[in-house]
Amino acid sequence: MGHSSGRRSLSSGITVTKLVDLYDSPMEVTVIGGYLGAGKTTLVNHLLSQATEVIAVLINDFGEINIDDKLVDSADENTITLTNGCICCSLADGYSKALDDVAKRNPRPTRLVIEASGVADPAAVAAYGHAPGMALNAVAVVADSVNLIQQLADPLVGQTVRSQLAAADVILLNKTDLAPETETVRTELDRFNSDALLVECVHSRIDLDLLFGSEVSKVPKASEAVGEYESRCHRSNQPIPRDALVELIERLPEQVQRAKGIVRVAEEPQIPMVFQLVGRRWELRALADRKNAPEGNQLVVIGPKGTVPLDWDRTLKVED
Amino acid sequence: MDPTQPFATAIAVQGDRIVGVGDREDFLDFPQTEVDERFGNKILLPGFVEAHSHVMSGALWEFPYVGFYERSDPTGRVWSGCQDVDSVLQRLIQCDQEMVDPDQTLVAWGLDPIFLQGERLVAKHLDQVSTKRPIFVFHASGHLATVNSEMMRQSGIDQHTPTPGVAKDDSGVPNGELQEPAAMSLASDGLATIFIAMMSSEAKWSYALEARNCGVTTAADLGTTRLAMEGQLEAWRQATDDPQYPIRVVVAFGNFGSDGTPANIRDMAEKAVHLREHEESAKLRFGIVKIVLDGSIQGFTARISHPHYLDPPPGHPGNGLWLIPPEQMPDIVSAYHQAGLTVHCHCNGDEAAQVFIDAVDAALQTHPREDHRHTVQHCQLTTEQQYKKMSELGMNANIFANHIFYWGDQHATITVGSPRAEKMDGCATAEREGVKFSIHSDAPITPMGQLHTIWCAVNRLTASGNILGPEERIGVHKALQACTIDAAHQLLMDNEIGSLENGKLADFTVLESDPYEVEPEELKNIQVWGTVVGGVPFQAGSQ
Ligand SMILES: [Zn+2]
Repeated sequence: MGHSSGRRSLSSGITVTKLVDLYDSPMEVTVIGGYLGAGKTTLVNHLLSQATEVIAVLINDFGEINIDDKLVDSADENTITLTNGCICCSLADGYSKALDDVAKRNPRPTRLVIEASGVADPAAVAAYGHAPGMALNAVAVVADSVNLIQQLADPLVGQTVRSQLAAADVILLNKTDLAPETETVRTELDRFNSDALLVECVHSRIDLDLLFGSEVSKVPKASEAVGEYESRCHRSNQPIPRDALVELIERLPEQVQRAKGIVRVAEEPQIPMVFQLVGRRWELRALADRKNAPEGNQLVVIGPKGTVPLDWDRTLKVED
Repeated sequence: MDPTQPFATAIAVQGDRIVGVGDREDFLDFPQTEVDERFGNKILLPGFVEAHSHVMSGALWEFPYVGFYERSDPTGRVWSGCQDVDSVLQRLIQCDQEMVDPDQTLVAWGLDPIFLQGERLVAKHLDQVSTKRPIFVFHASGHLATVNSEMMRQSGIDQHTPTPGVAKDDSGVPNGELQEPAAMSLASDGLATIFIAMMSSEAKWSYALEARNCGVTTAADLGTTRLAMEGQLEAWRQATDDPQYPIRVVVAFGNFGSDGTPANIRDMAEKAVHLREHEESAKLRFGIVKIVLDGSIQGFTARISHPHYLDPPPGHPGNGLWLIPPEQMPDIVSAYHQAGLTVHCHCNGDEAAQVFIDAVDAALQTHPREDHRHTVQHCQLTTEQQYKKMSELGMNANIFANHIFYWGDQHATITVGSPRAEKMDGCATAEREGVKFSIHSDAPITPMGQLHTIWCAVNRLTASGNILGPEERIGVHKALQACTIDAAHQLLMDNEIGSLENGKLADFTVLESDPYEVEPEELKNIQVWGTVVGGVPFQAGSQ
């Protein structure tokens, strides 16, 4: 990664790169939202400093995308805005150019983090995370635990803040060191998003495995616990009946709030499916990039140390 | 528009300036006078000023038009309307046959399915045009596109595509309709082709020709161009320095790519000041900063006060979107204000307008400044109280009068309801409260055409023929002022254009009949001969 200060803008490259042609596996996309001052940029910096992989960061200010030049060298900009008709056109345009830039980077980033603007709806940004060659990983929203109650009650921005939080898969309840207590905020959050994975933190410091989900390849075979969290994985070859998978998910200990992987479902074994569990929400959907999907099934579950039983995947083992 | 001399029969021009306004006899003893009778039976007005449009307005004409209404392109070619799916397909088949490269994407625009009889146009229809070449049909709304099967195949769109907005049939197969930008961006070749055309230098020309065709002599490109970026200024200079370029352009400086911190805004303001002080030329002007604060009313994204929207789509959060956190506005406005610039802020909703007015109020309290001309753009739901305050603060307004015709029926029944819709785009209220205002098309959001915009403000007729809010209608003279001298005022050019006075630039709109004489309903049908810019005539529809 090259380093220089400040942000730069997109190239106006005319070719539109199809990520699907360049990558062996889909690039994971994580969207970061949250109101002004919540700690989004701090989170991005934390991710950049902790990550062991190359992360491209797109910054979406004022309804458009800029690219963090820590990662991208190109300088000119030629995006446009169609403000009155539609505020997200500029996003559509800027996005393809940004991806073009990302794809030209060397080493090529394997993960894309999009920092939405302080007033953006992260769900609208996340809609871009499904392009061929990409897989939406999670929408993380940072909340300021000191000011959140006041922000939610604000007649001008209350609804903006609420919509952001409602779109979250992961809520980082930030600045808890400055808040006298977090119970009131937690109760309030529960009213409009009871499914998200709620993580209390200081200076936006979150365990990267919890946010991104671990890669199967990186989980130690012995499933040793590192730090506050432990990851355990499952690998098998035979397609899994959908019911068995659902049962497995439902039986996971309550503390397990993050799981992911790629599986073949018995009902449609030729289609690799992406499995994601964040908080109490889970989804199973077809992988856009089928050519390069790994064989068989690979699943990882993540929970606080000591909460994931060794035989968490026993229902699947029977099938194999 | 000169109140001391509202009418005249002759005008004397020397070089690019007016040297006298009166009757023929007044000028016959001028030395070396040449009498030019070519406009003897026409009507000369001060050149129309379109104070809110966007340079990409004419760019779509690079692609075939498949819209419902008949329209003329910048070169004057008339495109008949496509009244049904068959005529859309016929036009596309013809274009397909004319294209040399068999792999090149066929892009068309202007499709408006609500008007088309019968089955909705989907991929299987477009496949009748071609199964080999990708086809991308951009809708009039700008929010949708319909593509053929080959485009879906090349873009990797199939039944497993999870992107919201990829419309699917009952069996889960995508039908070719891509709704909203995230879905449209999947067909990236099609969308990119359009974006590239919009930012090309040809677009600067088609914008100017389109303006000329409707009698416009000065147009503001309101925050489309990234002036801070290399090459953009040069591209504008190259176009406007050409003696054949038929309009003056005010290129507003967009508050883009900023993180909203005071230091960052001061930096941007410095760039904008530099442009105004060192880079202006006869047909290229600066000094305006454009900020976008909220979304649109028809898109349910404008910030409007209680009780918000009447009948929003399912899942709507209740109110619109901010594009800038409202609490950053005082700092942003203050930085540009202190730099001596004029801020034009997009506020469709009244809640947004209030945030901007309050920010201007705060800036003026700490840094009093005369004649700042900060302008609320669109002003669609701006209230009487807000106009009072704007008048007190010396603010201007630019009202989106075209909305009454294009979306007035929807505003009355769906977006805000009749009582509010009747007061929308309230030109009469602005006039009563003493706020200087202009009226605009926001092209390409609605087609440019000052006579049509004037017709809207004067008649307030909706597409279905209803008069929406008769109390807000204004007189022809006021509407003409709004499109000439008062538009020039908010663009800081009223000392040079906007009225026919000695010493001002010789910019005229040349009409075939007199707007003061025709029936108000006929205003939009007045034929435009063309314009005169800096003494040079430009005929509408010519190359
Ligand atoms: Zn506009």
